[in-house]
Amino acid sequence: MRLVAENLSRSFGRRAFGPVSFSVEAGRVLGVAGENGSGKTTLLKTLAGLIRPSGGRARIFFEGEDAGDGCEPRDVPWRIGWAAPDLALYGELTAEENMIFFERVRGLVPTPGRARALLEGVGLPPDSHSKKPLSSLSTGQRQRVKLAFATLHEPDLLFLDEPGANLDEAGRSIVQKVVAEQRLRGITVIASNDPRDLALADERVTLS
Amino acid sequence: MSAPRPAAGILPAAIAVFRRELLAEWRTRVAVNSLFLFAFAVLVLVAYAVGPTRLSPEDRPTVNAVLLWIVLFFSAMTGLSRTFVHEEDAGTAAALRLSAPPSGVLLGKLLANVALLGAVTVFIVPLFVVLMGFEIMDPPLFVLLLLLGTFGLASASTFTAALVSKASAKGALFAVLAIPLLLPPLVGAVLATRVAATEADFSAGTDFVRLLVAYDGVVTTAAFLLFDAVWRE
Repeated sequence: MRLVAENLSRSFGRRAFGPVSFSVEAGRVLGVAGENGSGKTTLLKTLAGLIRPSGGRARIFFEGEDAGDGCEPRDVPWRIGWAAPDLALYGELTAEENMIFFERVRGLVPTPGRARALLEGVGLPPDSHSKKPLSSLSTGQRQRVKLAFATLHEPDLLFLDEPGANLDEAGRSIVQKVVAEQRLRGITVIASNDPRDLALADERVTLS
Repeated sequence: MSAPRPAAGILPAAIAVFRRELLAEWRTRVAVNSLFLFAFAVLVLVAYAVGPTRLSPEDRPTVNAVLLWIVLFFSAMTGLSRTFVHEEDAGTAAALRLSAPPSGVLLGKLLANVALLGAVTVFIVPLFVVLMGFEIMDPPLFVLLLLLGTFGLASASTFTAALVSKASAKGALFAVLAIPLLLPPLVGAVLATRVAATEADFSAGTDFVRLLVAYDGVVTTAAFLLFDAVWRE
């Protein structure tokens, strides 16, 4: 599998980022660096298919699955995992109910212990997610739930925007664990200003 | 590397969205409160100001039919616009876009809005009939009109809510788009309700039933055809 960006750019009246070109292979981690407002989040949203590019294109090549031209990220949302500061899950549901809901809409068959195990994997014990609504959890706990959401369906491509934001040291080690697991599955793209997040990357694109 | 997975089916996703909408509504009661309180307040106001005795017998069917559909129409306008607007405002839309097939999202939300408006209808109509002394000569036609009208209101409101969810002036835009879209079936529903109140012959209302079936079919089909572009762009 390979993620390729060719002269990719996005404008909202004025240029948000780009054009940028790069290629990432399975098992690799790409870091996207840049100052505030340089377009890191917009680049990640474009790569994840949440917004269309203004110029260039992003393609994902799956070995043996396409005719050589790859596919657009927006055509394979079930293969994409996403966690970002502006992403929200349903605050009136518990973390566990959120996981089960997203399993169902993704067409996965929810198994009783799976959501719980996933949440425990990001350091959330049952008493923090089985009864309380998500809105009552701390910002750091919600960030952990977002990491669980992003990896719920074992995506081929994982996009993490500021993954260490609001996390304590234990939380940061969970980010490392998530990225290490994703290396075995596919590609990770991390956008951040934090050197600790970017240290997880094998290669780097810097937006200006 | 994980194996290729198919996209989620529309029906399982729709059922999951429907269940989540109702569970969230049960816990927060935001739309339920606005729908029921609005409908009940207007009903009490109308019953107090107009009542069953202040209308001449020949005016009663027409005025009552108009008032009943006004209550249902504005209840739909008050409570149903929230369905997609809240997803955008709360920031949950991206998670849903990445996770669920668009048609599954629309179907789930449409079913939830039909359930909510249906519950309001079940609550309001008997009260309206009693408080306003609204005599119905053809109850089967009346019930069928309520089913078709409620579905049409919910369907058009749900799709309009999706259209305006990313706009800045959502409330104003929702009214501007929804009112012209909802006027034709409302006129049909009002005229048909008058027929149900005055004639015991079901066949007298079949033209209106056809009109409402056609409207519901066209609006719902158009919503499903267009929703993918509206939701993902």
